[in-house]
Amino acid sequence: MTIKVSRRVFGAGIVATGLVGTSGQSFAQGTPKRGGTLVATWGGGEPQACYVPAGGGSSPTFSSSKLFERLALRKMDGAFEGVLAESWKPSADFKSYTVKIRKGVKFHDGKDMTVDDVIYSVSEIWKKYAVASALTDFAGIESPDADTVVFKYNNPTPEFFFASTLCSPVAYIVPKHVYAGSDPVTNPANNAPIATGPWKFKEWVRGSHFEYVKNENYWKKDEPYLDRLIIRYVRDPAGRAAAMEAGDIHIGVFNPVAPPDIKRLTATGKFVATPKGYEEAVWSTTLECNMRNPVFAKREVRQAMFHAINREFIAKTVYYGYARPGTSPIYSPNKEFFTADTFKTGFDPKKAAALLDAAGFPKKADGKRFTLNLLAAGWFPENGKVGAYVKQVLEDVGVGINLTVPDRPSSIKRIYTDYDFDLAISNQANPSEPVPSTTQYFTTDGILKGVPFRNASGYSNPDVDKLVDRIKVETDPAKRKALVFEFQKITTQEAPLLPLVELESITLASTKVQNHSNDPNFLAASWGDLWLAS
Amino acid sequence: MQRFEFPRFEFVGRFARNRGALVGACLILVVALMAVFASVFFPTDPLRIVGLPELWPGEDPEFPLGTDSLGRDILSMIVHGARATLLIGLFASAVATIIGVGVGAIAGYFGGWVDEISMRVAELFQTIPNLIFVLTIVVILGSTLTNIVIAIGIVSWTPIARMTRAEFLSLRDREFVQACRSMGMSDLRIIVSEILPNALPPVIVLSSLVVAGAILFESAVSFLGLGDPNVASWGRLVGDGRQLIRSSWYICAIPGIAIMITVLCLNLVGDGLNDALNPKLRDR
Repeated sequence: MTIKVSRRVFGAGIVATGLVGTSGQSFAQGTPKRGGTLVATWGGGEPQACYVPAGGGSSPTFSSSKLFERLALRKMDGAFEGVLAESWKPSADFKSYTVKIRKGVKFHDGKDMTVDDVIYSVSEIWKKYAVASALTDFAGIESPDADTVVFKYNNPTPEFFFASTLCSPVAYIVPKHVYAGSDPVTNPANNAPIATGPWKFKEWVRGSHFEYVKNENYWKKDEPYLDRLIIRYVRDPAGRAAAMEAGDIHIGVFNPVAPPDIKRLTATGKFVATPKGYEEAVWSTTLECNMRNPVFAKREVRQAMFHAINREFIAKTVYYGYARPGTSPIYSPNKEFFTADTFKTGFDPKKAAALLDAAGFPKKADGKRFTLNLLAAGWFPENGKVGAYVKQVLEDVGVGINLTVPDRPSSIKRIYTDYDFDLAISNQANPSEPVPSTTQYFTTDGILKGVPFRNASGYSNPDVDKLVDRIKVETDPAKRKALVFEFQKITTQEAPLLPLVELESITLASTKVQNHSNDPNFLAASWGDLWLAS
Repeated sequence: MQRFEFPRFEFVGRFARNRGALVGACLILVVALMAVFASVFFPTDPLRIVGLPELWPGEDPEFPLGTDSLGRDILSMIVHGARATLLIGLFASAVATIIGVGVGAIAGYFGGWVDEISMRVAELFQTIPNLIFVLTIVVILGSTLTNIVIAIGIVSWTPIARMTRAEFLSLRDREFVQACRSMGMSDLRIIVSEILPNALPPVIVLSSLVVAGAILFESAVSFLGLGDPNVASWGRLVGDGRQLIRSSWYICAIPGIAIMITVLCLNLVGDGLNDALNPKLRDR
């Protein structure tokens, strides 16, 4: 299911063979074997186009990231590594960054990749589509010599923020000779891309699969190990489970099968399931209060909503344990910025009732304090179940609930365009860097009618806005971290939107597949280093 | 003047001669009683989480039919679901019958361009695949019980309209109708009190089948997750259990059987009504 353009999710996967993850568990053994065809799938549908310049959600990110490459990627251990960039360094005032571009890289059509392609990609694709919200301070890009570009900013730009921008999943280097002079959004090359990655586009059989073949001239020696990569789309989780069981599909990323099937398939010993590879794209299920409804004017009322909900129950029952209670808009796997020292709105129905009484909403004769429309976005079936549970617990504290579970387009329209809800259950995926993907749910400039996955609650607080402005320009990592901690304290206390649970995404793979789940956003990795054991 | 007499005892006798119909009617009665007394048997909200999730039938005596993936009592949802399911079936059939009889009667009685237009409109409705049409209406109007009823009614009226029109065509020039005309009766009165009662028996049979069809439509809509989430219905329960079909198949199977039995019984009742109301077929 493609939901959001998680613009600033980093990671790619041209990481060397046998990279061992933090838990010490690695899905690689022995020396890589060459050749063979890997068939992959994911827990969502076919994309609208193979490559969507603006991102277009996880589905085109998955299909395009095997072909295109970024300037840099983030590794499992948190370090940044150059891909098409060899290195980058800030100026003394942090208002410009000098980036050395890799030499000897060729596009799939045989033409050399040059600084012109980088300048075109950044100014025409990144700034306008791919990572526009991360480049609001961007002042331009120039090239002093044939293998250097300089990014210029209007304000000081933190190094972590800059590196994160280079690593954004759709911040690709595209060929200028293919895209210049056309509208990038409708360029036919988006459905048969020419890029620099380890895989070359061969064909797209609509409704069925993509076929990619080995790029013989790939700049990274030895990769890719496989001869062919097929991305197959299967509509139904039960169908994916059956195809994997039959050996037709080797690997499925992002929850390809239903939780009970994960247990059933791994029990056969032929499959492994892992939550690794999603550290830079952590998903959550969120509850937000529509500030346009006057009952939410007092923050105690918003807090009461969260106090009424047992997040443990949701994690355990709705998600079969593949989730953990959310405590902050910054998620717990975020090593840079997460803090447990936040305002707590834990499960406490009595406190919820007391807060509502104190806020001037006592129970009326019919046992209700007020009635709210609860919208659970229907793009994940679990959201409907969370909705059913939230309805029950809120009714227990005297809040009448009208639940609706519209389909994907109606949900997006009602939450992010019409603001037609009082409480909404939605989802988001965020990388470690909180600006702008996390902060835009809380800042006033995130209130953009009609733009999905922004501030739909209508929450506007000058203190939060000022704080986020300081986070944007603070170049001292320690001070920046302290500011992000403060941001978490305020937002958890104000509670316009909070995660109910952080989701644990699962990759299910045949034990034959080696070297998978070795990138903090494995879905968007290039997969040049994957190989199949016999 | 020929008058439609509801043939009471004779009717019951003829109906009961069809054993299948009798069994069907008895089971429908049971479902209807379940629907009526649902709140007596299970006073709490059937969508309340009351136990551990995915308890198998019989595992816990408190939940004889087990619990679903959230821990809701399946027996309670089946009993309350009977209410929603039957209500949707009856009201949707009523909507379809009212539209169908209205359009069919006018088209058949007046003929000419009125007939042409009505039948072209009916054809327009018939060319759109029913389920897709229902889904479209529900998505546009929103998933509430009323909208689902309206949507099913809108797609189900055409066969009733065609049947009514055919009956009207064959009746409108009979002597008793001509007699009424010569007496100066208004068109409306002739349609409502003279022709309609004679045209009704086959329409009643068809309407009983539309009830069965409506239940299936509602199940499909709920199965696809577009049902009213505030209401326990059987289709919704099947849809919720779909993900777990390999491990906890009873969540799908129990409401599935309930839907199957009810729809089968409604069809049997339809057959029985046909036997009882169509004297020509009486001794086939």
